[in-house]
Amino acid sequence: MLDVENISTYYGNACALYDVSFSVTENEIVSIIGANGAGKSTLMKSVMGTVRPREGKIVYKGKDITHVQTHKIVKSGIVYVPEGRDVFTKLSVEDNLTMGAYSKPAKAKELNALHEEMYEMFPRLKERRKQMAGTLSGGEQQMLAIARGLMSKPDLIMFDEPSLGLAPIIVDEVFDRIQAINKRMGISVVLVEQNAFMALSISSRCYVLENGKVAMQGKSSELIDDETVKSAYLGM
Amino acid sequence: MKNYESLVKKIFPVFAMLLAISLFPVFLKNNYYLTIGCQAMLYCIVALGLNFIVGMSGMMTLGTGAVYGLGAYTSALLSTKLGVNPWLALIPVLVMGWLIGKGLGFPSLRVQFVYFSLVTIAFNEIVRNLLTNLEFTGSGTGVRNIPPYSIFGFEFNTQLRSYYLIFAFLVVFIIIALRIAKSKWRRAFIAVKDNPEALEVSGINVSSVKITAFTLSSIFGCVAGALYAHFNRYITPSTFTTDLSISFVVMLIIGGLGNFWGCILGAYVVAFLPQLLRSAGTSYKLIYAVLMMLAVILFPNGIMSDIRRSVGKLINNGKGFSKGGGIGENRTGN
Repeated sequence: MLDVENISTYYGNACALYDVSFSVTENEIVSIIGANGAGKSTLMKSVMGTVRPREGKIVYKGKDITHVQTHKIVKSGIVYVPEGRDVFTKLSVEDNLTMGAYSKPAKAKELNALHEEMYEMFPRLKERRKQMAGTLSGGEQQMLAIARGLMSKPDLIMFDEPSLGLAPIIVDEVFDRIQAINKRMGISVVLVEQNAFMALSISSRCYVLENGKVAMQGKSSELIDDETVKSAYLGM
Repeated sequence: MKNYESLVKKIFPVFAMLLAISLFPVFLKNNYYLTIGCQAMLYCIVALGLNFIVGMSGMMTLGTGAVYGLGAYTSALLSTKLGVNPWLALIPVLVMGWLIGKGLGFPSLRVQFVYFSLVTIAFNEIVRNLLTNLEFTGSGTGVRNIPPYSIFGFEFNTQLRSYYLIFAFLVVFIIIALRIAKSKWRRAFIAVKDNPEALEVSGINVSSVKITAFTLSSIFGCVAGALYAHFNRYITPSTFTTDLSISFVVMLIIGGLGNFWGCILGAYVVAFLPQLLRSAGTSYKLIYAVLMMLAVILFPNGIMSDIRRSVGKLINNGKGFSKGGGIGENRTGN
């Protein structure tokens, strides 16, 4: 459903991505792993249009979205959950969720149903619905960022380092929810991670980014046994 | 039932405040105080509008004086030169507000923070200079003999009559501002200040949110300007200086940024304080400045926000858990 074809992205003269291609098909989890500065976030931002690729093409559901405005991309069904739990700290949990549904105006009833659906999936958020998002713990903020992304009923959701700075037990919980989103709601997932082991264990396919290029790609189950991946990313 | 109760609870303070404002002339019949009362209400309207940009969206604009002035001149020139009915002239005033909003909102997409403030100061100075030097706007002497508003021959030509006319407008604008504070716009405005990048990837067009904030704000400013022109009956360009723009921002800072009650309180403080300090003679500016600085030091989040927080603390004392309301200073309404 998403095809990124040979994109190159630059920050000024610095090349952040060089000739990168990747694709996501319906209902699968694709992971993208790589070290700091490999270009993982730039790749996500290029897809969302917050950074524009200089060359190449991004096709979503048969449509070229390379030059489409970000908010229209979201409307067409791709949602990006940014790195570092980007929630609106000065708004309540409830309002944060409502903001997620902004691009698809819903009636009050539908909106309530959506809220309830999210609270069912993330019960902690329900307890804290009236609280300012800035007062939540790191794990709760990550859950909120995910739930906010789901509010617009996307077909494809992209997570940027959802495990960043979270306690191991919370990381498990986050990955558990990501799998649930994929299985129960039938949403395709792109997972960008430094935590290579977790990413490989829940995804079906994986791309390895190195210095802005795709160094390796393949089935996650095979990459997890690959010697290079093992030594470079799994520390084994 | 619970909904009804909370509604009453929320509306009651607004109602009480409006009652107080409407009874003001009963106690201070003197024309001098009535004039300042009118001024304060006009300031309230401007401050309520400005709150959308400076308070909620966090963009420091210092061009509100020019917005106010353009509203005043639009209505004044149309009614004196072309004989347009002042009520009818409100339509071009609204259009003017809309145009300024689109025009001023645009640079806010390109430049940020202090650079944006500089652009708006430039805007203010350009407008003031044009008004001072164009023959068409009456140059330095401004526009005289502006007709007052009238309904079926009843002219709003005395201070008292104008007071209630402006009061009616204030009520309308307060209702609009409170409605917006309940709508998705408030959330969007606050989110623009909080985290524009996350807003963009939540599928919201940040540019259009910013421009909406500006448009709303300039419409408030322009209508207040028009009311001022027909209340004062003559206008000169020297009123609409950067000083005035700064005063508008001071109102918000004194009252509390992003706080509905703060806007009202701030407007009244800025309108009345200089008059109360008149007796201090030449040193009044010094006292005024010191008081302002003290207010900022003692109430860093604005008088209203800090008062509400300490009241909240008293109420929550002993319960041990304060629902995280501590950082709620940016909430408007309720």
